Amino acid sequence: MTAIAAERYTGASIKRSEDPRILTGAGRYVDDIKLPGMLHAAFVRSPLAHGRVLSVDVSAARELPGVVAAYTGADLEAMTVPGPDALMALMGWQGPTPQFTLLATDKVRLAGDPVAVVIAESRYLAEDGCELVAVEYDELPPVTNASFALDPGSPPVFANLGDNVAKPHSRSEFGEVPATFAGADRVYDFRIGVHRHQNVPMEGRACIASYDAGSGVMTVHAATQSVHVTKIAVAMRLGMEQDKVRVLAGDIGGSFGLKIGASREELAVAAASRDLGRPVKWVEDRGENLTTSGQAREESFEVRAAVSNDGDLLGLDVKMVIDTGAYPGMGAMVPSIVEAMFPGPYRLAALGFESTAAITNKATYVAYRGPWASETFVRERVLDLIAKDLGLDPLEIRLRNVAPRTDPPAVMVTGRPLAGVTTRESLERIAQLVDFPAFRRRQAEARAAGRYLGIGLATFIEAAPGPREPGGPSGPMGMESMRLRLEEDGIVALFTGQMPHGQSHQTTLAQIAADEFGVPFEQVRVVVGDTSVVPFGLTGGSRSATMTGGVALHGARQLKARVLDFASHLMEASAQDLEITDGQVLVRGDPASAIAVGEVARRAASGQFGAGVDAHLEVEATFDGGEGGWSGGSHCAIVDVDVETGLVTVERYVVAEDCGALINPAVVEGQIRGGVAQGIGAVLLERSAYDEDGNCQSATFMDYLVPTACDVPRIEIEHLETVPLDADVNFRGVGEGGMIVAPPTIVNAIEDALSPFGVRIHEQHLPPARILELIAGQPAIA
Amino acid sequence: MTEVDITLTVNGATRTGSPEARKTLADFLRDDLGLTGTHLGCEHGVCGACTVIVDGRAVRSCLMLAVQAAGSEVTTIEGLAMKGASEGGTGRRAGGGEMGVLQQAMWDSHSFQCGFCTPGMIMQAVAFLSDHPDADERQIREALSGNICRCTGYQSIIDGVLLAAERGRERAAREQR
Repeated sequence: MTAIAAERYTGASIKRSEDPRILTGAGRYVDDIKLPGMLHAAFVRSPLAHGRVLSVDVSAARELPGVVAAYTGADLEAMTVPGPDALMALMGWQGPTPQFTLLATDKVRLAGDPVAVVIAESRYLAEDGCELVAVEYDELPPVTNASFALDPGSPPVFANLGDNVAKPHSRSEFGEVPATFAGADRVYDFRIGVHRHQNVPMEGRACIASYDAGSGVMTVHAATQSVHVTKIAVAMRLGMEQDKVRVLAGDIGGSFGLKIGASREELAVAAASRDLGRPVKWVEDRGENLTTSGQAREESFEVRAAVSNDGDLLGLDVKMVIDTGAYPGMGAMVPSIVEAMFPGPYRLAALGFESTAAITNKATYVAYRGPWASETFVRERVLDLIAKDLGLDPLEIRLRNVAPRTDPPAVMVTGRPLAGVTTRESLERIAQLVDFPAFRRRQAEARAAGRYLGIGLATFIEAAPGPREPGGPSGPMGMESMRLRLEEDGIVALFTGQMPHGQSHQTTLAQIAADEFGVPFEQVRVVVGDTSVVPFGLTGGSRSATMTGGVALHGARQLKARVLDFASHLMEASAQDLEITDGQVLVRGDPASAIAVGEVARRAASGQFGAGVDAHLEVEATFDGGEGGWSGGSHCAIVDVDVETGLVTVERYVVAEDCGALINPAVVEGQIRGGVAQGIGAVLLERSAYDEDGNCQSATFMDYLVPTACDVPRIEIEHLETVPLDADVNFRGVGEGGMIVAPPTIVNAIEDALSPFGVRIHEQHLPPARILELIAGQPAIA
Repeated sequence: MTEVDITLTVNGATRTGSPEARKTLADFLRDDLGLTGTHLGCEHGVCGACTVIVDGRAVRSCLMLAVQAAGSEVTTIEGLAMKGASEGGTGRRAGGGEMGVLQQAMWDSHSFQCGFCTPGMIMQAVAFLSDHPDADERQIREALSGNICRCTGYQSIIDGVLLAAERGRERAAREQR
């Protein structure tokens, strides 16, 4: 890889083209945009988790100087079209569909539910206006957890459903489940829980909606992972034709799954702009972000494991319950992905999986970096619990159970082939990087001195994009499109539906296209964030490395062929004899023949060429993922647990990963480290906490703690040699893996540190207070 | 609301304004002066995205009122490149992607991803390095522990600050010879 990097951009840590603006304060985030006549929105929110709305009086707010309008839920319903959640509809959801309004009308369903919106000349005045809105409520019993939600006696959060079931109970069986359990040497039962935590991008949700009555066009400046999904959501709810909605996006301050489509607040802002004929800006504050933007996880698992005396994991039988919060989000769809991924890279021959999704009076479930990650947490936790009971080493039990790499590849019991999976290699590499026997000696010495060190190991695979199924019609992630054009100044422009929000696509896609087309890196421009010029796309699911990297490669190849074909007329040479090098078209071996690609484009635009010559130097490329493949790897942590204070320090963190061929190692490593940091936060710090009345208790950064520079250690990363599956495109996604596997890695290390106390851990959130409880023998919360 | 006339120096230039008494310095810089490089990440003084330098000290501009900055000298991310080299700048006018020493080191180190925490992180680091040019990694981590980044896991940011400190020391050594 390093040898190639010297000659090619692809594979080298090219400095980011995003950075000159970002480092100098010249980035353009939604809140930085000021439109003429722009107004500002602020929301009145429910103080109750569950209640009937008896009356909403916005008249005093409307009288306040500087306030231009104030809308109730009923006002908004008259201005919009009812319908299902656009994202759920787009994803083809067929299950229970709650009916809801943009702002609460009949009921409030979480503390922070928007009840009214005030539009004013400044945000300060809009918030003043909110103070003057009077709302009367009749409190209802809050549904604050999944077990109460699924009790037939709980009050339905959505009247049209009649119960609190977001996804009805279902059960699947793969392999011979009853026979496997009947024949097993040992059967274990575990209850394992994952707590509620959340994305917390540094920039919260934000939008400016600007309706132009003359053209009937709604322009939305959005912070979104997909301008097109936002466009569809706005058009649906406002009852507009899709081509009358244009969504623009510039720099976005992170998302991690939060900003997909358009939230109820953003749709209300769009409706207000159309009503007023003026631009309206809304930027959520941190309190709104922490309490109402969306939260994730909060899942419980009952796990039965069939195991041989030698430590072979023969079968699992899993019951999953997920708390999806109050309004429709993707929570109801998560169990099916958890089910499909549960076997991981292991030779698991039988899996029973049942699941239910509950509706509660809490913030809506949103995607958060590896939404299905609990399958890895539960599986890697269960393996350690079994290993402890059998007296096996964590490395040994994993190596014992990993599916061998065979041809044809082993197949997960849930159906997908484990093609090119390098889990065994990653475990063996970890064992080389971290001297386990030496650690055990140090651990024993430390224990003798009253210090508790622990080592944790966990492994994962991620379908980024996943393997091509034998006989499958197309790749596992659908199609990715890109438009590529050679401009008259020699710039190769890539129009992509990816909407980067930290992933560095403007750098990485340019690297690939520059190599493939034959121009300097600086001569490639990646255009994003405008529904009127970019094709459909979404940044999410770790899809862009393979799907967009792949379409950039194939698209650049197609554009190059088109340019050479035109140049062959211009240069009176066969296209096969031409090449593009360093931005110049030339007859191979004849430097004197060189013409700059910009000159070729200008000649094409001039119209001065013979009949029958195709001078259209633009292509629409699509890519289906090719042969695809898995991302994956193993992580190892060494922790130091202070048993007096409960404080956990991560002393060392080592990653051995395989995300295919690297496009830009520094970008890849940034994605891994960022994900690991969020995983460390999830275990040691972060929890979206609620009291028994359903009030969110983590509404500030003093209550919802995210990791700081003192909490995250240096993270050592080793890139494994990958198994190429495709002739051209072996880049694989790396966005989610760190967050998927870091939580079990850290928890496994903590349990190892506390093994002298006989501690067994069945949960993911381990702040100091909980560590002390575990040492004192307190049972699991889950 | 009462408006108050104030005069202050921002990025080397004298600026006047009449913000409402309740307006934060951050909102004044962003709305009244158009300096949107200063970001607001929490508006309760924890995340550090809004950090600017006031009279030589790093402050949270979301916790300070604009009127409290009257008569002060304020430096924002937009003004960093134009500061003298000893203060992390190049001495040239800001704009057009001109970078100071720390910014350049952070570019070289792939320090950031989404860029939202970036201005505050850089201003905090600039203020710290000017007082502690010989700081080690532990001290730098402590100094930046009040600035939240959600993307990077911090290592690349720390590497950028360490690189800038090293380059600063090399430059100082060259000037002594």
